[in-house]
Amino acid sequence: MLEFTEEQDLIRESVKEFAQKKIAPIALEMEKNKEIPKDVIKGMAELGLLTCTADPEYGGSGLNAVSAGVIAEELAKGDCTGSTCVFYLVQAAWGYLLNKYGTEEAKKEIFPKTSSGEWFLGIATTESGGGTDVVGGKTTIKKDGDSFIVNGEKMYISGVREAANNGGGHITIAHQSSELGSRGMTVFYLPLTAEGITPTYIEDLGREGISCGGFSIDNVKIPKHYILGEENRGFYIIHEGYEYARALIAVICAAAGLKSLENGMNYVKERNVFGKPLAKFQEINFRLAEHYTKLEMLKRLGYEALRAIDLEQEGKGNRFETSKIVAMSKMFASDWACEAINDVIQWQGAFGYSRECPDQAAWRAIRSFSLAEGTREVMKMIVARELLGKELVSYK
Amino acid sequence: MRFIICVKQVPETNDLKIDPKTNKVLKQGVSTIINPFDQFALEEAIKIRKEGDEIIVISMGDTETKSTLMRCLALGADRAILLNDDCFKDSDTFGTSNILAAAIRKFDDYSIIFCGNSSFDTGSSQVGPELAAILGIPQVTYAESTEKVENGKIRIKAQTDEGYRIVESTLPLVIAGIPPSSFQPRIPPLPKILAAQKKPYEVWNVEDIEGDKAKFGSTGSLIKVKKLYEPPKREQGILITEEPNIAVGKLIELLSKDKVI
Repeated sequence: MLEFTEEQDLIRESVKEFAQKKIAPIALEMEKNKEIPKDVIKGMAELGLLTCTADPEYGGSGLNAVSAGVIAEELAKGDCTGSTCVFYLVQAAWGYLLNKYGTEEAKKEIFPKTSSGEWFLGIATTESGGGTDVVGGKTTIKKDGDSFIVNGEKMYISGVREAANNGGGHITIAHQSSELGSRGMTVFYLPLTAEGITPTYIEDLGREGISCGGFSIDNVKIPKHYILGEENRGFYIIHEGYEYARALIAVICAAAGLKSLENGMNYVKERNVFGKPLAKFQEINFRLAEHYTKLEMLKRLGYEALRAIDLEQEGKGNRFETSKIVAMSKMFASDWACEAINDVIQWQGAFGYSRECPDQAAWRAIRSFSLAEGTREVMKMIVARELLGKELVSYK
Repeated sequence: MRFIICVKQVPETNDLKIDPKTNKVLKQGVSTIINPFDQFALEEAIKIRKEGDEIIVISMGDTETKSTLMRCLALGADRAILLNDDCFKDSDTFGTSNILAAAIRKFDDYSIIFCGNSSFDTGSSQVGPELAAILGIPQVTYAESTEKVENGKIRIKAQTDEGYRIVESTLPLVIAGIPPSSFQPRIPPLPKILAAQKKPYEVWNVEDIEGDKAKFGSTGSLIKVKKLYEPPKREQGILITEEPNIAVGKLIELLSKDKVI
């Protein structure tokens, strides 16, 4: 049984009201216009949803992971395109990391602007040569007196246009002592308005309200206070951000799938074929039951993963146990949700395949999550590692 | 000044199921909201409040009603009171008004009692006027906005069948509010929701309000429900989706066929 606090119930009520009234009616339009309208971003900021995991003294709402999940769930139900979900989740997850490991100076500079919706805070670790294998990246960071110089490139990054045009930047990782491999990487905040950043754009298959792209980094100078945590400890730090995002993604996938099933149920109850409602066909009602069961299981696992993150923050958890349950929650999240949505598209016939159908947009959005923030295959590696031990991992 | 706002938790949907044996609405699985007119009443109080004023929200209901009161605290109320006792159950509007009045009498220095003009579920529009009658104070119903509070008097813009009337009243009084079409209920932001958890929330029972039990619940109610049932479902209408030049012809054809014209 999923249980939430009274406070979380109220948060859900507020976000649900906002998502259903302000986002759902214009969701498909966001994809056409390739942007989230300013008044939606303003509304999200006024509600306190943006970088909500930052402490209140920096302008955040100081939410824990389960509360952040409640927001993600309601946004996913309201936004069939997933655009606001991505806009929200990266800022919640990577805001959490900046809040935990960032310097006072950086937090005071960045959070008030991201919480107000003026700036965007993203994550940029993937490079054209690879994403899952973080150590395989080529970007470097070198000390230069009191500053650092960054060179390299990042690719397939969400929110590039938002940060490059409006301000803000991305949490990034680079090799500081490349001879040390994973033990020589550093995490830092990279403003996309800095001199030496050249953005490029890519058209994504879905969630088109938020931009996707990359940027080259050519001798970009960043101040010391943009470093997160200890230098050369970045590989370990970055995974906490990934895990936060992964658990939120599990909840988003479950919610989007369940919302689509709701659309499907409304349709099959009304639509008659051969003189009876589509819902009466066993092919449909068995599949509905299977999808619903899987997605409810997924939702519960997603919240368990978020709870594990919260427990760890309270000093009651275990790093590796958290990694395992987070990986379990994300492993099939996109697959199960996409299977359900795909069936809902099928039930709706030609309408399901039209651009007017919200479910096709949901499918395109949710499909991205078996890749984003760690692939399905990496999730399997993590779970197997925790079960078998480090000596028997497949990547060494 | 002290403002007292009476709020009611109502079902979010009109599609309710009724237990034919008990003649009661089945609440299981039905999500609830604050009665929208009551939120408007609260917003009006927030609009005219000055520093040092206090806004108290009161609701009679079961423990589930707490969520509605917490929403009010997140919206800007200072204190919330839930009236909950077995002997309050099955009250009609008169019983409810007696319970609310007994609770309000615990405050001897209230200035304005705000409530919604009617509720989203039963819509009887009786609680406001009954409260005023029981407490022996003036009332203004169909109030759309509070214009001015000055020298112990208040000026209110209220709707009439023909338009509006501007009413001036002494304090204390009951204002039953009805929102203008432009009214957009605010959504409580997260920081206010978190702050609301620290505001005073109390549960009062029959001893706390020191009222006359005979006036509460089913014994104090004047209305006896003989039967409660769902209205018969209407058949789905015909939707004409063509362009106007074709749609008009189709409409005439359908109306002629049914001998309407």
